[in-house]
Amino acid sequence: MRNILITDFALRAYVAASVVGLTAPAIGTFLVQRRLSLIGDGVGHLAFAGVALGLLFNLAPLWGALIVALVGVIGLERLRTSGRLSGDLSMALVFYFGIALGAVVLSALNRFDASAIGILFGSVFTVSTSDLVTMVALCAVDLVAVGLIYKELLAVALDEETARASGLPVEALNVVTVAMTSLLVVAGMRAVGLLLISALLVVPVAAGSRIAHSFRGSMLMAMAVGVISALVGLLIALWQGHIAPGGGIVLTALGFFALSMAVGRRASRRHPRGVVA
Amino acid sequence: MTLELRDVHFAYGAEPILDGVNLSLSAGQFVVLAGPNGSGKSTILRICAGLLSPQAGRVQVLGGSPADPAVRRRIGYVPQGLRPPGTIPVSVQEVVGAGLVPARGLFRPLGRADWSRVRVALDSVGMSRLASECLFELSGGEQQRAMLARALVGDPELILLDEPTTGIDQRFRPVIAEELRARAAAGATVVVVTHDPEDFHHVVDRIVLLGEGPIRELGHDEFHAAGRSL
Repeated sequence: MRNILITDFALRAYVAASVVGLTAPAIGTFLVQRRLSLIGDGVGHLAFAGVALGLLFNLAPLWGALIVALVGVIGLERLRTSGRLSGDLSMALVFYFGIALGAVVLSALNRFDASAIGILFGSVFTVSTSDLVTMVALCAVDLVAVGLIYKELLAVALDEETARASGLPVEALNVVTVAMTSLLVVAGMRAVGLLLISALLVVPVAAGSRIAHSFRGSMLMAMAVGVISALVGLLIALWQGHIAPGGGIVLTALGFFALSMAVGRRASRRHPRGVVA
Repeated sequence: MTLELRDVHFAYGAEPILDGVNLSLSAGQFVVLAGPNGSGKSTILRICAGLLSPQAGRVQVLGGSPADPAVRRRIGYVPQGLRPPGTIPVSVQEVVGAGLVPARGLFRPLGRADWSRVRVALDSVGMSRLASECLFELSGGEQQRAMLARALVGDPELILLDEPTTGIDQRFRPVIAEELRARAAAGATVVVVTHDPEDFHHVVDRIVLLGEGPIRELGHDEFHAAGRSL
């Protein structure tokens, strides 16, 4: 058992899941505050089409997913801000187009098989070193971006109208936010899968926000929950041997959320005035 | 002139709201915009804040266009009504600190001096004790005072406030009025939209009435007497 836990594939999986578990809530905190919790799901749908198109044009699935997710979600954001379609309707149309296109292209290529399941639900134990480098690089770009423009993203998340009135480039910041989401979704494709990555954007944030009393505190708490969920979920998958690691990670995060529901209110009562969580 | 509107026209759809409005305000003036619902008071503030563009006419704010982000950074604006509570807890000081973000510039986090300014702004609206509390767990009046502190923290040259005393209890309304008076005395131009003339009648320089024919100025006594009928 101990040998399995420290094999090369397990070590790569720990790193891959941890960086995704760390990065997803950092972006998810802004998305949840802006009531865009489900955008990760939609980007996943687009990335699925990207994987299929990548195979069609002999491009690595990861790069195909990245290109289509980025182009699709930025185009969607422009469509939304132009007012030509309502936000949720435009999202629904584009995202359904993505999943349908992916299914059609993959089946036409006769590739609608176990590898497609791996894309949808993750296959973190098959991550290669080059995959890992790409995932870490994508997550690093996201974390650096959040660090550099944290205060601007917070101002927009708090109140878009007041942020716009104060001269902040709200449209550009919105594009950066959805672009960061795309990078994260693609990075998380192998770790937890396109259908479950959205859960890591949202569930740790939901848990963190039950405990903390500030936005920054919620984000840091959520990032901690994300990393711990990733590692615990992986260890359970390795120990048990037959369960999908992506599902294990998300269920662990949901367990932390349930715990936060139980203790969050008590933590709130204990919280002294004058201290920021 | 800090603010100049010349023959400004604005309509929501086919419904004209502003029909050739002219208004000039200079630095250091404290002005109340009064008038019935739908008279265009909030629309004027939103045009001056760069959130709406008039269909005709000329608007100049702080020597430039309100569409210019550099101009907008010198404006403090509080929109009407409370923001809907978000899912994530946000501390009062984080909200007020957001008022310093445009002036601070990209890639530069708020520093110690900025947080000192946040404390001063909170103190000016009687909120320093609640700096670390979650905004959405406070009363409506306390949330409104936090929004005021956010608008004031950057020491804006033009302060645009839409119903700023809504929800604030009678104890703190004079505090807000005196703080705005002090800002005007220091050179800022203060424009307040209100349905509560009694909150400001003793501190304003000018009262501008909209919605009953051409825009006109009211005397202090007339304004005070009109009370909530405005």
